[in-house]
Amino acid sequence: MSGVRQVVGMTGDEAVAHAAKLVNPDVVAAYPITPQTIIAERYSDFVNNGEVDTSFISVESEHSAMSACVGASLTGARVFTATASAGLALMYEILYVASGMRCPIVLAVANRAFSAPINIHGECTDQLVCRDASWVSLFGESAQEAYDETILSFKIAEHPDVMLPAMFGIEGFIVTHALERVETLSKQQVDDFIPASRIVRDRFCPDENKTFGSLVLQDYYMEIKRQQEEAMQNAYKVTEDAMQEFSELSGRKMEITEKYQLEDADYAFVSYGATAGNAKAVVDRLRAKGEKVGALKIRLFRPFPSMDMFQALSGIKAATILDRSATFGSPGTIVQTDIASALYGKENVPSLHGYINGLGGRVLTLPEIEEVYEMSKEYNNIGINSTTDWVGYRK
Amino acid sequence: MTKEAPDEFSRWTKEKWGSSQLPMGGTVPYHTAYGYKTGDWSAFKAIIDKEKCISCMNCYYYCPDSAIIMDDDLKAECDMAFCKGCGICSKHCPADAIEMRRVTR
Repeated sequence: MSGVRQVVGMTGDEAVAHAAKLVNPDVVAAYPITPQTIIAERYSDFVNNGEVDTSFISVESEHSAMSACVGASLTGARVFTATASAGLALMYEILYVASGMRCPIVLAVANRAFSAPINIHGECTDQLVCRDASWVSLFGESAQEAYDETILSFKIAEHPDVMLPAMFGIEGFIVTHALERVETLSKQQVDDFIPASRIVRDRFCPDENKTFGSLVLQDYYMEIKRQQEEAMQNAYKVTEDAMQEFSELSGRKMEITEKYQLEDADYAFVSYGATAGNAKAVVDRLRAKGEKVGALKIRLFRPFPSMDMFQALSGIKAATILDRSATFGSPGTIVQTDIASALYGKENVPSLHGYINGLGGRVLTLPEIEEVYEMSKEYNNIGINSTTDWVGYRK
Repeated sequence: MTKEAPDEFSRWTKEKWGSSQLPMGGTVPYHTAYGYKTGDWSAFKAIIDKEKCISCMNCYYYCPDSAIIMDDDLKAECDMAFCKGCGICSKHCPADAIEMRRVTR
């Protein structure tokens, strides 16, 4: 099916814009914010040049961007937007409206640190803190994964068993602005993968007598929220199937979690996003020294792949969790606490060592990751089964 | 425009449906905003003197609930099925044609 693969040099942001162009959504409402800006700029070029059929709504804020997306989505339109950091925080209120009203909007997040102090560089806290907003949430390691997840997200979000919005994140500058090799798909391939238009259950239109967003109080609210939880549980299987189908379509293997050298490993790195690339590079270095170590990459963050975590980490002695996000006063890093919950009470699971690193675009070098790995082994050797440390900063 | 509630909706409220039966996302398959007569909680109502009305339509555009309708002679009228008695029309009327009168029930 894949035929001759076309390879193009693109930044992560450009990859997202070009993938979205192939999907050709009906409406894009976006407000520019570094490091997402190129997505909105490139896409508005496509609109201006008549390369897509999209109505582009230039809005005055991200709160308005997401609000416009909700309105458009309710009419049955296929909708896309993109943001980062403070922009995502400003959307936060409407994220819950989008999921609560079951609008399958796709949102690209150029993960960036929160102010203050103001910083425009890569950090995943912005997306991770949206974990309870009932959005399907994915992370990408590279421009290629950004490209693929743009297309995949529409497939997951619009599935009748899901009907929830989906966001996917790529780290600011590290992925969004780095020029990388991207294998593209043809328009025909994307058309085969994604239906020409959305399946619409309730349409907000003048010919139909329907009330959207009505007041729902003590007697019905919990029932409506429970529907979202069931949709989120369905999203796991839908994502698995969609990834399988995408793998066949593109010839690139895509899985909910990526396992690297884990089969015979005693120790493991767990990471997501761009950090996963460094983790794999460190695995190669450590393997060369005779260490039995592997790496696990999380691509799907919500719904959280608890069973995959257990299966992949079963039999591992100690797991080093590299988390490029900040959390304060928490029992562990954001991803570490999820993994701990997934493994709690199970036999034959590793000790978990979470490391908050890379905040505001700080680089954790490969030798530093090796040091962190030694720390985890040391903790494990003296019998400590859960630790959380900040690494890669000056004391 | 006012329609009877469909059977499904009547049953859902009578039988207290649960999450597996209720329509997705709390969408009510019954009425647009036009079907909900919400004017019955007003504390004031707008009394419009059509003799004074100059057809400027300020009240029509300022009304937050689309309760002002223009008659065939382009004079303002107030649809009490939707008026909440906020008084914005009265404040904005340049001809002083709208008086807010307290509703007694």
